[in-house]
Amino acid sequence: MEKLNDGQVATLRRHLLKTGTSDALIDELIDHLACEVEHYVWIGLPFDKALETVTDQATHTAVRHLRERYQVELTMSDEQLQKASLDDIVFQFRNKAYGAYDLRQSYRLTMRNAIIMGISFCLMLVAILDGLNRKEWSYVSLTGLAWILGVAGMTYAGVSWYLARVREQQYSV
Amino acid sequence: MSTIMEASGQEFLRGTLKTIVLNLLAEPTPTGPRRMYGYEITQAVHDRTRGDITLSFGALYPVLHKLEQDGLLLTDTVEVEGRLRKYYSLTPQGNQAAIQKTSDFERFVRSVRSLLQSPGELLPG
Repeated sequence: MEKLNDGQVATLRRHLLKTGTSDALIDELIDHLACEVEHYVWIGLPFDKALETVTDQATHTAVRHLRERYQVELTMSDEQLQKASLDDIVFQFRNKAYGAYDLRQSYRLTMRNAIIMGISFCLMLVAILDGLNRKEWSYVSLTGLAWILGVAGMTYAGVSWYLARVREQQYSV
Repeated sequence: MSTIMEASGQEFLRGTLKTIVLNLLAEPTPTGPRRMYGYEITQAVHDRTRGDITLSFGALYPVLHKLEQDGLLLTDTVEVEGRLRKYYSLTPQGNQAAIQKTSDFERFVRSVRSLLQSPGELLPG
């Protein structure tokens, strides 16, 4: 039986992407349509005609219908819904690999680190200015305390950000 | 097949698709448990029913993925001629479900048949 070459498979992929096929289904649909094209070629149609017949069948309407059915069939169960976060629900049938999901997931941590860093930076700035003003330095004073708190906050936020990044890279590998 | 038959065929199919898929996969093969990919399933259904029942990909894949999510099917993705082919086979739980669903469906068919018979054909008692 005649097999499709890579270019012909790529044509099918482009067609499916254009019709809006979701990530979860694209590879399977490519294989499915490729098998159909091969079947038509086998019974004697030229490739172009076979491809046309198959792509006519996989129209926007058909693929949308598939997506809708898919969402009805595979929606989360009540139990899963109770455990799911708002992000999980919003991104259930969307592309999580694109980046928005990760951004939303790490939003709280990023925000917290940014606030701690901001406050720490202000504390350190105030301490330096105050120290320069008085032309003397003591750790056992309000200024000294502000400096120590600032450095501690900076370190904490920095380390926390670094660890989160390391964890992220481990997952993505 | 006429359009009307096709329309109602699709309607009946919607409720029985899971049973059909589970049943096909439950058939033993000489080499062990059966595994099939999506297109193979549509072809098997088409051939066995001599074209009376045609599964569209739009109906089949949501059901396959649902059964997988429910733990009734196992999948195995293999690269064939530069494209990915996903094979489905039954889990032990899927085997149970296939048996259960088939017997439920047979009972249902019997009940519907007795509903469709005219009352005169019914046995007394």
